[in-house]
Amino acid sequence: PGGARLARLPLARVKALVKADPDVTLASQEAVFVLARATELFVETIAKDAYMYAQQGKRKTLQRKDLDNAIEAIDEFAFLE
Amino acid sequence: MAERPEDLNLPNAVITRIIKEALPDGVNISKEARSAISRAASVFVLYATSCANNFAMKGKRKTLNAGDVLSAMEEMEFQRFVAPLKESLEVYRREQKGKKEARKDKDKKADSEEQDKSREEDNDDDDERMEEEEQNEEEEVDN
Repeated sequence: PGGARLARLPLARVKALVKADPDVTLASQEAVFVLARATELFVETIAKDAYMYAQQGKRKTLQRKDLDNAIEAIDEFAFLE
Repeated sequence: MAERPEDLNLPNAVITRIIKEALPDGVNISKEARSAISRAASVFVLYATSCANNFAMKGKRKTLNAGDVLSAMEEMEFQRFVAPLKESLEVYRREQKGKKEARKDKDKKADSEEQDKSREEDNDDDDERMEEEEQNEEEEVDN
């Protein structure tokens, strides 16, 4: 089941990112876990969206420009610009 | 302890695996694309953390919790992540609970193994008496 798997990203690394925010005092273990899972879903999403551009270009290799195109075109990725 | 830049990156091998599993077989990813996705993922965590922290502060809490992260997802327009995240959280909570109880049971077992030995001898007597006593609601609890 895709939704219910446990995190593949190491929680310690995700936690390091959370701690990098000076405004954050503490984060619960559950919060770090959910963040890790969310990041995995994000990676899947952006990879799939970028891949559509590679397909348009009839390529089987995802390239940097496919990412750039996806980020520019999709609202949810605006924070990456 | 100073943080090295690589500590704020997510492991390449894991990111690559997630990408590959999301895409059809036979599709490759250039190194540049993989790096870009990895950086984007780090930015995602930082942005989501900041967003989630706003919710925690609104709730006058100093500790960021799972609910704050879910609220952040909605705020960031990733509502479709919320349902699968809730499912994952349920599984995670069950796992954590299981681990806790396994640790408690380990300790208990060590104690009760000694008591079990003396109980075994009493059981034969109990079986005979049980038939008579079934009619009686009152039972003496024998610990």
